[in-house]
Amino acid sequence: MPSVVPGQTPSLSTFLKSLKTNDIDSSVDLLISLLKRRQIRSSRPCAIATTQLMLRVVANERIKEASSLIQRVRDVGRRLIAAQPREMAVGNIVRRVLGVVREVAERDDDGAASSDFASSTPGTPGSVAQTGNATLGRPAVSVNIPTLSPLSQGAALPEDVQTGREPVMSGSTSPSGAGKDQLRPALGSVSSYAGGQAPPQIGSLFGIFQSPATGLSPAGTPPVGGSPAIKPMQKATKDEASKEKLDIKAEVIDGIKELLDELEIVDSQIAESALDHIHSNELILTHTSSQTVQKFLTTAARKRKFTVVHAEAYPNDHETTHATIVNGNKKTTNEDEEEVNERWKPLTSMGITVILIPDTAVFALMSRINKVILAPHTVLANGSLIAAAGASTIAQAAQAHRVPVVVLSGVYKLSPVYPFDTDELVEYGDPGKVVAFQEGEFVEGVEVVNPIYDYVDADLVDLYITNLGGCAPSFLYRIVADHYDNKDINLNVKST
Amino acid sequence: MPDANKDQSPKEQPKDGDSSLSPAELKKRAKAEKQARRAAEKEQRGAGGAGGAEASSSATPQANGGPREVKQGQGQKQHQKGGQPPQQQQQQQQQQQPYHRRSGSQGAQQMPVREKPGKAVAGAGKQGKKEGSKQVELFSHLYTHPRRTTFEGVSKDVHPSVLAFGFKMASYEICGSSARCVAMLLAFKDAIQAYTTPTGTSLARHMTSHHLSPQIEFLKTCRAISESMGNAIRWLKKLIVEIDPNTAEQEAKDYLCEHIGRFIQERIMITDTAIAESAAQQIKPGSVVLTFAKSSIVEKTILEAHEAGTPFRVMVVDSRPLFEGKRLATSLMRVGLEVEYVPFSGLAHAVKDATVVLLGAHAMLSNGRLQSRIGTASVALQAHRAAIPVIVCCESVKFSEKVALDSIVLNEVAPSEELLTPSSLATAHAKKEGEDDEGDKASKNAKTLADWRDISNLQILNLMYDVTPAEYISMIVCEYGSLPPSSVPVVHRLANEGGIAA
Amino acid sequence: MTSDNFDVVATYQQLLIEDPELTMPVAAIESLILALGATPASTMSETLHLVQTCTAELKKSIRNPISLSAGTDLFQQYLISNLQQRPSEGDFDVIRKHLVENGRLFVERAKAARETIAGFGRHFIRDGNVVLTNGGSRVVGALLRSAAESSKSSKTPGGSIRFKVIYVVSSDDSNYTSSEAAENIRALRERDVPVAVIQPSAVAYCMDQVTQVFVGAEGVVENGGVVNRMGTYQMAMIARATRKPFYVVSESHKFVRLYPLGQKDLGIEQDVLIFETASGPEVEDGKSESGIDEGIVADVDEVKERERRGDMALARLSREEAIDYTPPDLISGIITESGVLLPSAVSEELIKIWF
Repeated sequence: MPSVVPGQTPSLSTFLKSLKTNDIDSSVDLLISLLKRRQIRSSRPCAIATTQLMLRVVANERIKEASSLIQRVRDVGRRLIAAQPREMAVGNIVRRVLGVVREVAERDDDGAASSDFASSTPGTPGSVAQTGNATLGRPAVSVNIPTLSPLSQGAALPEDVQTGREPVMSGSTSPSGAGKDQLRPALGSVSSYAGGQAPPQIGSLFGIFQSPATGLSPAGTPPVGGSPAIKPMQKATKDEASKEKLDIKAEVIDGIKELLDELEIVDSQIAESALDHIHSNELILTHTSSQTVQKFLTTAARKRKFTVVHAEAYPNDHETTHATIVNGNKKTTNEDEEEVNERWKPLTSMGITVILIPDTAVFALMSRINKVILAPHTVLANGSLIAAAGASTIAQAAQAHRVPVVVLSGVYKLSPVYPFDTDELVEYGDPGKVVAFQEGEFVEGVEVVNPIYDYVDADLVDLYITNLGGCAPSFLYRIVADHYDNKDINLNVKST
Repeated sequence: MPDANKDQSPKEQPKDGDSSLSPAELKKRAKAEKQARRAAEKEQRGAGGAGGAEASSSATPQANGGPREVKQGQGQKQHQKGGQPPQQQQQQQQQQQPYHRRSGSQGAQQMPVREKPGKAVAGAGKQGKKEGSKQVELFSHLYTHPRRTTFEGVSKDVHPSVLAFGFKMASYEICGSSARCVAMLLAFKDAIQAYTTPTGTSLARHMTSHHLSPQIEFLKTCRAISESMGNAIRWLKKLIVEIDPNTAEQEAKDYLCEHIGRFIQERIMITDTAIAESAAQQIKPGSVVLTFAKSSIVEKTILEAHEAGTPFRVMVVDSRPLFEGKRLATSLMRVGLEVEYVPFSGLAHAVKDATVVLLGAHAMLSNGRLQSRIGTASVALQAHRAAIPVIVCCESVKFSEKVALDSIVLNEVAPSEELLTPSSLATAHAKKEGEDDEGDKASKNAKTLADWRDISNLQILNLMYDVTPAEYISMIVCEYGSLPPSSVPVVHRLANEGGIAA
Repeated sequence: MTSDNFDVVATYQQLLIEDPELTMPVAAIESLILALGATPASTMSETLHLVQTCTAELKKSIRNPISLSAGTDLFQQYLISNLQQRPSEGDFDVIRKHLVENGRLFVERAKAARETIAGFGRHFIRDGNVVLTNGGSRVVGALLRSAAESSKSSKTPGGSIRFKVIYVVSSDDSNYTSSEAAENIRALRERDVPVAVIQPSAVAYCMDQVTQVFVGAEGVVENGGVVNRMGTYQMAMIARATRKPFYVVSESHKFVRLYPLGQKDLGIEQDVLIFETASGPEVEDGKSESGIDEGIVADVDEVKERERRGDMALARLSREEAIDYTPPDLISGIITESGVLLPSAVSEELIKIWF
């Protein structure tokens, strides 16, 4: 992801400014048009804009029912995604916001329902797990990643984190929440319901045994959402609940704000592990200019001396790359943008030798490189990624030389989308960047193609470092599943 | 591999040179330059000899003792070290040479304009101590001396044709292994005709060491000589030595020139046609041919297949800073081929559609590896992974006895300034102005990449070649037929050591 | 045998015959539920014992119990989890009732799972694709059919998928699964999908034409690998060598708690490697001759061949039934009814039901 480029940030900042004054509908329309016109582009600005907009959408929503809130967020989200399906950060943020709403709503329902419902559903899988563990004398297998940083988890799911109690049979999409919340369908952890088919009530491998939707048997696990078992309960306590619904909104807003916080500190969190990965005298290759990678390298540079080989990503990002190398991360023209883009010195001024190379030289140098560090545009659920064009060439050269490829990505870039068709994910840019339009004969006679992104297969990546810590590409499915609710994966309207 | 003068037949080159840059003109300018720089030159002169010797020996280790002997005699003066900051040199050179090849790439001419007048002067003083930190340590063995772009210290023995060729080579006006070889031989023809044997010695004994070697040494200071040039030089030296000392001088010179002509014809011209015919068989109806940068022989192959009526399309992958592929795409487009032009970053996209990859060569190394324009190895790797056949078209004159495992030991470093794109400079400039307008004081001292020499720890590496592992290469088409990479040494022995040709 | 009048093995076979759409694990679950219903066992331990005996009987009755055991294990585990959770007899009755009453529902659900998977087909199969598959997997067949149908029906944008199928069918595979393969091929051809039938030996030759490979599974094992018809492993290796995506299509009830470390680690004897000299096959020591009693009727050819070889061991799988194990690193994804799992996710799912 290219860091903030002059010319595009004004759009983000003007949008954020306008958010304060415009009404919601025009803000939504504005963001849609900005996305369509690519005036807000690349993951981070898209994520920030979407989160801020969602904050306003939720704050302005009069209806306090969680379900209508979800509906509203979904509707707006769908339109945003449709505006620019390849900016997957938008969809990711929408899903995260939905997750926050669901989380809050479920906790609320629990509060209302637990009094008499809990006793009648003693057989929830969550408790089965515990008993099972106790009986068998086996250590509890926590499905949560040990590296989960409390912060990010908190951002997505404010409280109620019960790590050790991850219920056995629901591959739940949320790492936290009480056992009763975990009955929602799972196993689709790594799934993409690109189709419109709602997954049936498959809770886990046991899904097949679940009781019919009529809820005849208490042994069955009540399906979440439209559960008839819960619905009457809600009605019964409606008066009482309506008071609590006020809190829902407040809590959702808190949740979204935490999401914003996460976006702000994501680079610092990733950079925290820099010293675990970079040792002295290493030769590190990176590609295009990424705020995340620069921060990572800068953090390491404070303690260690190494050399950076920087491929320039011509023709789409080389100017940004050059600017980053020469000037570090200068904050650009927008003063009132959130303090995400702090300023820092270029690596060279910290005594780090930076060697600028054209992308062509990557293979020639790879035999001496110790590590390749890439920043993705989007990470997909199967561990593959979309990154600036040229990344796949670099990753393949690295694999050919057995050089480890490390991908630095904030969780907000993880998308639950399964890459059914990798061609669809690659965007083509302005051919004028390759050949100037003045060269009339050439432009007319030759088809000039300028892919902006590359699809990099999961088996070319050795390690992902997210703000939650490091993990293998094969484990990404779990992090993805932890952050998105299965019901929200299918917001995507582009697939029908 | 890439060939600047593609469209002209090699024979025309000297004429072309005359028209663009007459030797007399060159000399006149040289004199003026010399005076202006004498002072700077003096400072730097001491450092010259060793680096130059190393350069020549690493470029052609197998070249016989001839050049070295001469060097010891004349090297001191010849190997003036780069007293000038390359920017300045380039700037001057561009002004001198109206036909400078790079002026074709967009806006290259703007570059000198962007330079602030004071900068070059300031640079000159710092040059000496800064040079080291601007060289990438891994490749320190390749930074012998900056490419010659001026006449300083050129031996008076260097023939004007050779001079003209040398500068064209340094500026990529003549570019590509075969083209350089042909142009060099043609220049040598002129040089040979200008030779007179001193009394008391014979042409066979004297010419190589006293006349040819200064020419070769001069060329080496312009740009490292290619494998094909090395092979041709070795062949020529052998030819000279074998001349009967009793042959009359003019007769011997005519004999040499005739053989040089035959060498060009047999080893390059006819060979190219044969290779193109053979390789064109690999382009089937419906093929999608992927090629990288520009190789004259690949171009010939594609044209051949097109003339044969095979319907196919071509994808040209191109790279910075030379943009050689643009000229290939243009010439193919002009004959009516369907051409797609993809920047190097879009390689993955290009490989997805391709059915066959055709590559040219700078040299074929004896361990089956291919030395070619930097980026070639990545193209071959991706094609190999996608199970697309990779076919190298290469005359046997480019086959080498050298072996290499990586692209680091055997390579050539081109001036870093070539990577400073005018567009990036312009953008940087515009950005500066834009920020000024908005009153952002901090950005006033924002530097641009053009200031790279003033930024400590920043290096720009501009390599010329990389080495493609043999396992990525499916087939090599040469005039001896199609071979696997493992047969390169066989052909090399046959063609370059057996003395078949001429 | 707990119940004297209930033959679980016969029931199992009857179920499979009656409903050709039924998979082995589901048939096994179904038979266990029927056994449960037919037996008036009322205590927990009695019930568990009944299920265990029936399972053992079932497993013993067929030579390749891997697929079946996915179902029986799942059922057993479900019972255990629930019984341990609700130790009171009343609750136990509820569970039992739930299971017995909803037997058919489970079967329907298993079939629905297949339909769901089939629905994914059109997302995987794109215009111009060439799909390679083998064996008679019903779920793969359903997936391809669904892609073919969406190509025919939908004039809507994104529809009209034209694809071709290469079906690997072994010629010495005269009747074991070829009938299912033949059925799949016929169904595809009827839907205007061009199908080529090749020998297993031609897989490598064809692979460069192929865009992706789909195979079914008898069982998806704990590390994310699959056990499937003999030849699957080599297809996966060839697909990997040419970097073609290799997808396993399987309902999640085929996930089985088995962790093979290699081909010999499947716990099944197979008639694959028979070294012979002029004096006949070499006899290895220690081969278990544990015969089976009733079980599946061995087909005629098989019997003949066994006779010719001097009937080595009835418990061994014949060549036609032979299976192999494909390790997870060769698998791009496992398409289940709940989406595409990475092989690495299988382990988690199994861990979750067993602990």
